[in-house]
Amino acid sequence: MMLQAMKGAACALALTLSTTIMTAPASAEFPERPIGVAVSYGAGGATDFQARIVTMVAGNKDMLGQPIYIVNKPGAGGRVGWNWFASEAPKDGYMMSAYNVPHFIAQSIKGSVKYSADSFEPIANWGADPAVVVVGKDSKFNTIQELVEFAKANPGKLTLSGAGLFVGHHIAALQLQKATGTKMAYIPTKGGGAAAMKAVIAGNVLAGVNNLSDAYRALKAGNVKVLGVADLERNTEFLPDVPTLKEAGYDVDNSSVNFRGLMVPKGTPQDVIDKLAATVPKMFGHARVAKRMKAGGSPIKIMSREEVQKMWKERQTYLDELLKGL
Amino acid sequence: MEFLQYFGGVFEPIALLLLVGGTIGGLILGATPGLSPTMAVALLIPFTFHLSPTHGLILLGAAYTSTVAGGAVSAILLKIPGAPANIATALDGNAMARNGDGTRALQLSFLASGVGGIIGVLLLIFLTPVLAQWALAFGPSHLFWLAILGVTVIGSLDSRSFVKGLLSGCIGLWISMIGYDDVQGAERFIFSDALTGGVSIIPALIGLFAIPQVMEMFSKGREAAAIEQVRVSNYPISRSMVELFQSWRALSIGTVLGSIVGLIPGVGGQIAGLVAYDQTRKMSPHKAKFGTGHSEGVIAAESANNAMVGPSLVPLLTLSIPGSPTAAVLLGGLLIHGIFPGSDLFDNHPQVAWTFINSMLLGQVLMVIFGIYTAVWAARIAQVPPSVMASAVLILAIFGSYSVQLSMGDVYIMLVLGVGMFFLERFGFSAAPLVLGLILGPIAEANFIQGNLIANAQNGPLEYFCTGTLNIFLIVLVVASIAYSFWSNMLENRSAAAARKKQELAQ
Amino acid sequence: MTASRLQHSLMATAVLALAATVTWLSFTQEPADAFLFPRLISVVFLSLALWNFARAMFGMARVGEGISADLVKKILPGLFVAIVFVFFAAKSLGFYVSSTITFLLIHTLYDPTSPYELKGWLRRIVTTAVFMSVIYALFSLLLKVQTPRGMFF
Repeated sequence: MMLQAMKGAACALALTLSTTIMTAPASAEFPERPIGVAVSYGAGGATDFQARIVTMVAGNKDMLGQPIYIVNKPGAGGRVGWNWFASEAPKDGYMMSAYNVPHFIAQSIKGSVKYSADSFEPIANWGADPAVVVVGKDSKFNTIQELVEFAKANPGKLTLSGAGLFVGHHIAALQLQKATGTKMAYIPTKGGGAAAMKAVIAGNVLAGVNNLSDAYRALKAGNVKVLGVADLERNTEFLPDVPTLKEAGYDVDNSSVNFRGLMVPKGTPQDVIDKLAATVPKMFGHARVAKRMKAGGSPIKIMSREEVQKMWKERQTYLDELLKGL
Repeated sequence: MEFLQYFGGVFEPIALLLLVGGTIGGLILGATPGLSPTMAVALLIPFTFHLSPTHGLILLGAAYTSTVAGGAVSAILLKIPGAPANIATALDGNAMARNGDGTRALQLSFLASGVGGIIGVLLLIFLTPVLAQWALAFGPSHLFWLAILGVTVIGSLDSRSFVKGLLSGCIGLWISMIGYDDVQGAERFIFSDALTGGVSIIPALIGLFAIPQVMEMFSKGREAAAIEQVRVSNYPISRSMVELFQSWRALSIGTVLGSIVGLIPGVGGQIAGLVAYDQTRKMSPHKAKFGTGHSEGVIAAESANNAMVGPSLVPLLTLSIPGSPTAAVLLGGLLIHGIFPGSDLFDNHPQVAWTFINSMLLGQVLMVIFGIYTAVWAARIAQVPPSVMASAVLILAIFGSYSVQLSMGDVYIMLVLGVGMFFLERFGFSAAPLVLGLILGPIAEANFIQGNLIANAQNGPLEYFCTGTLNIFLIVLVVASIAYSFWSNMLENRSAAAARKKQELAQ
Repeated sequence: MTASRLQHSLMATAVLALAATVTWLSFTQEPADAFLFPRLISVVFLSLALWNFARAMFGMARVGEGISADLVKKILPGLFVAIVFVFFAAKSLGFYVSSTITFLLIHTLYDPTSPYELKGWLRRIVTTAVFMSVIYALFSLLLKVQTPRGMFF
């Protein structure tokens, strides 16, 4: 009895405190407390950084009305975080996760994880970061053709760094090898895109596959040359002069583009999903978010729940095919 | 001398306010168990959304410097290291606090942090272009040898038995391999669901250091007689200053090693303190006093881990490569304002760059001043009855390890490791080498695998790992370090045996 | 005081058993690529464990106080409370309620004052309340950490 009363008092206290702090109206419907977003990569990585920006206006009255906080669960190229999310996260909408496609789909095809594309329900997509091929600023390669020629003449000798196995970078490397009929030495690094970029700049490897956003920054800092973009169209905003791999004559499409967005676990109530799917894209499209994302060199691509569902399906089919032989 | 030109920026009212706020906030966050400097800086990023780039960076710079030093507070008073950087501080610092010397330990730790930190930032200001090349010189093979060099320290670190020290290190290396392997994504040694995420470093640290100490307090029981009353002496700050400069050996070893190690991307910050502590012990005439509350241990550890702050930002500011997790978070803080580190930063936004660096310089001074005030609490902490202390440390340990990833699994791991460590310690194993293995294992493995892959595309692993000046230099250091440990261990054994014989004869 | 040869031998056996298990797993599990480094480490681990085992058997291990019945008797109550909190109470009762109970229990168990004195209880309850408010302010209000809620809070 007393504990009940204490609980009531404590709840009342917590409620008044939270409402005064967060200026949100105390509504009876979802969400009535802050929402978490689990990021499967470490603090400071591209996914973490962008997730923090795109969720910054969540607390506004016309958005979710509750702030979003970030929880980092890094490890094993994202497997740790998504495993946790698929098996242990609460299914009430109060814990979302940032997805990276093609990463989690490719990992689920390779097995030994507790998730697949069917374990999650997409909410909306916020960004698309194509993979690019980079070399150090003093490298002897000036075009993607020269790089491919070298790889043809020296099978297995072209070292190519990337952020891990079965992530977008790896897919792009696999596609490039398949399209050119070459064999390259793909070197997965620990510590994400930043570590892979360091290997290129320091000359530990001959070339690298990296995120467009990180490569753009390294290019501005005068450390690298960007040889090609693994996308269907050139990126007119950040790298208008860099050709796509397709333009260069290699059959590489946009399957390696790193799509980032939010999802919830399967089993979350439909009305919660609907509410999130209706509000979250608006949140991503906020002017302040756009300004910060552009300033950081991060390409935005907002997609609705339906569009993401379609994109996930396409990737699943393509990756099943590509990874079959491995 | 360009930085002097922009010194005025730090003294504007808003900037100064942010600087003071950032320093105090950083000290509190740093002292909170479970909040590493990386997490603390990440938490502050949203506040910078509303500030100008310069002001935002002042806040982050001040917070970064003071969280690293703030970690020493919980390490000394509670023996809960706030981050890997503070492990070495806990070894002697907590022993000092329990002897009633907490005030002195805290004063020395903040003064040493200040000296090391200022020298580190000065290095950042004057030697950045030179240092940038040095930071890039370390490829996978060098980082592998460097990690192995770190592992060789294990045998001599805070252990009364050579073989048990090495064994503790091996246990740590094994624990670091639990969970998904980073490259292949294969499951390794997962025998419980809580372990699928692997053993993360902060909960492990908290468990390994705080829990054995809680159980030690339990073991005293409840009889009033068993609970010793600690006499706490107040300690004038001037005497601490004199003592700091008398311990010039520890201070210079800490500062030099801290700044060198801090530069190396990926390795630096975590082990700077431990390496400096170990070297100081090896070179000190009072070797036996280390671990029992010797001030040199605190000075070496704290000067090293703050000296690392400045140089650790060199790769970020010059090459736009974050060399440490905290630097990665700071990079995010710059990016949201559209500022790209690298030549762009110093050419087009010198105001931002230099004000940031200056704020770290001034932040060090403020950190020392505010830090000294916390020393006042230290006097009280030793007098807190063990029953309160034990419950408080236990609850803090649980909250701290939970809040890192909001995971109950981490709390289970923390408690199990801690209880296991208590029993291991009763048999001469120790936590410091175990933690070192835990930290260095993943670094050694990742670089070993990566180096192997690169080597196979070139001329084979032997040439890749064992040729080149830097590789050979590091290998020589590894061999020398092992030989030294063996030799000093033999000497110790011999003198111990002689002492025992004498005792037996006397009986 | 150092532990008996028997105790040292038992501990060394336990460590040896661990090392042997780790080595066995490293050499039998698949994929071999992922176990390259564990194999390297486990061999070193196993040889060190053997050395340590030999030392203990020959009575050369002298470091460490070992475990006594008295020690076990003293730590068991506290350890029991901690384990119940972490593994059972935290999720079912809620983080803050179970922390409060744990703090008060351990404080009482190891307080030299007799548990029959009212004054002692008052002092302990006040200490608990103050400490838990600080924890609540720090973790919940300042850092906004979402803790498991359970039945209560």
